[in-house]
Amino acid sequence: MALQSLVALIKMELKKFIRQPADLFLNLLFPAVLTIVFIFAFADPELGMSINSVVPGLIVYAVIFVIMTIAQSFSTERQEGLLKRLNTTPMTSGEFMGSQIITHMLISFLQVIVVFTLAFLLGFRPDSGIQGIFLALPVTAIFSLSSVGLGLITATVSKTPEAATGISFVFILPQMFFGTFIPITSTTQQIAKFIPSYYLLDALKTIFEGDWMNTNIFLDLGVISIVSISVVIIGILLFEKYGSA
Amino acid sequence: MSSDIRSVLKQLDVKELYEIAKFKKINIPRNWSRTLIVELLALNVSTQDIRNFGTKPLEKRIESRDVSAIIVKDLVKQFEDVTAVDSLNLEIKQGELFSLLGPNGAGKTTTINILSGILKPTKGTAIIAGFDVTKNLEEIKTVIGVCPQEAAVFKFLNARENIELFGNLHGIPKKELEERTDTFLELLGLAEASKRMAKGYSGGMLRKLNLIIALISDPKIAFLDEPTVGMDPRARRKTWEFIGSLKDQNKTIVLTTHYIEEAEALSDRVGIIDYGKLIELGTPQELMEKYETKNLEQVFLKITGRRILEGI
Repeated sequence: MALQSLVALIKMELKKFIRQPADLFLNLLFPAVLTIVFIFAFADPELGMSINSVVPGLIVYAVIFVIMTIAQSFSTERQEGLLKRLNTTPMTSGEFMGSQIITHMLISFLQVIVVFTLAFLLGFRPDSGIQGIFLALPVTAIFSLSSVGLGLITATVSKTPEAATGISFVFILPQMFFGTFIPITSTTQQIAKFIPSYYLLDALKTIFEGDWMNTNIFLDLGVISIVSISVVIIGILLFEKYGSA
Repeated sequence: MSSDIRSVLKQLDVKELYEIAKFKKINIPRNWSRTLIVELLALNVSTQDIRNFGTKPLEKRIESRDVSAIIVKDLVKQFEDVTAVDSLNLEIKQGELFSLLGPNGAGKTTTINILSGILKPTKGTAIIAGFDVTKNLEEIKTVIGVCPQEAAVFKFLNARENIELFGNLHGIPKKELEERTDTFLELLGLAEASKRMAKGYSGGMLRKLNLIIALISDPKIAFLDEPTVGMDPRARRKTWEFIGSLKDQNKTIVLTTHYIEEAEALSDRVGIIDYGKLIELGTPQELMEKYETKNLEQVFLKITGRRILEGI
């Protein structure tokens, strides 16, 4: 893998992220606004929710929206002939997909930091202390791989960027309802066990509680890693075979 | 003698000219044009010097103009019921500017897409700079530059960033890339707008940027698919001159265009394609003589018009 190509592609992706208001809104401003609104609206012991129980859900919520960003971005680049053009250069698919994965892991890092900082200013004090955030970052970054994979699958089946926006909700909505801050009942928990965000939520809650030795963390991390890596591999294979031209 | 050495030097590209200058310890200012460099070297260098210098024997380098850069063999591309390219056979020499003409939907872009590795052929193959499109795509990508029909540029990057991105993907060293970018931006009149995001560019500016990206890697073979569509007449003329100057650098250029006068002015040879088949091939002069016309446009209309009327 050529470092020069990889760095150039990552720089391009980050410039795209910074210069496209819609991406900035969806990935940073939206989670920030949601953090403020949800903490004020729902972090109320009378409703059975505390700040500490809302924040992990907000982090998960932010990362699953990467699905839409990726799907829109790939569909637009395909529609404008950019993917074809990139394919005529010596760039390898490993460099291209590597740049996507690294960029979106960085964006997930940023999202966690934004949500965490705002939540901290509004009174969030995890039992884990600052160490919790350092552990939350890599776990969330691994989970972001599944969002990249689902984004690629969405782009593969979407003919236009508009269709990609709609279809991405097929993956976003279940994760939103069964794996964020929305309370899970014993019935919905059976469904939630098939949703990757459920495991991230569970891992983040345990991490912020400071319960480092809880075996659930390792179980969650195992599921997140296996599911995320599998989904991103499936996404890459499907996109390269059916979605890149 | 001096004219002999001059003709030899003209066969070399700028990089080689600079290498010879360095070898002979001749200092050439960075902003000199290729013509000036050739003139200076012609006064100071002998044919023997170049023979001594070259790792590639010069005779071979010059003989290479007779070598085929592209060989298309029985190429077929089928899209479900439609045969877009139908048993195409063609040979394009190194250093040749070859124009592929044809009405809309004739198969020009499909042919270019196969030759540049974007599409896989259904049958047959093509050899690009000695590499087979069905087997050696990675190698082919290192020797070609592609200017697609649509202006495929990143709209949220400025011209310089777009060019440098593609230059980096070709592995061009940083300093060299900056110099080449400056030269191209200046040559095609985009220097002033080079720091503005491409989404604010006019159609003509996007076309120019599209062309620069295709050429930034200094490719041996360039595929230019309707590179001047959407340009005003003045910009078009300037771009034609620029494309014509690429011939001096021994580059092989495959051009498709709807501006027949463009093909007539620039091309060494022209191929007319319709319904995926190559129906005529020759120099513009040969075709005009054969069809007893005054210009290539009349040749084109005679051939393709007749086929439409005859329902071929």
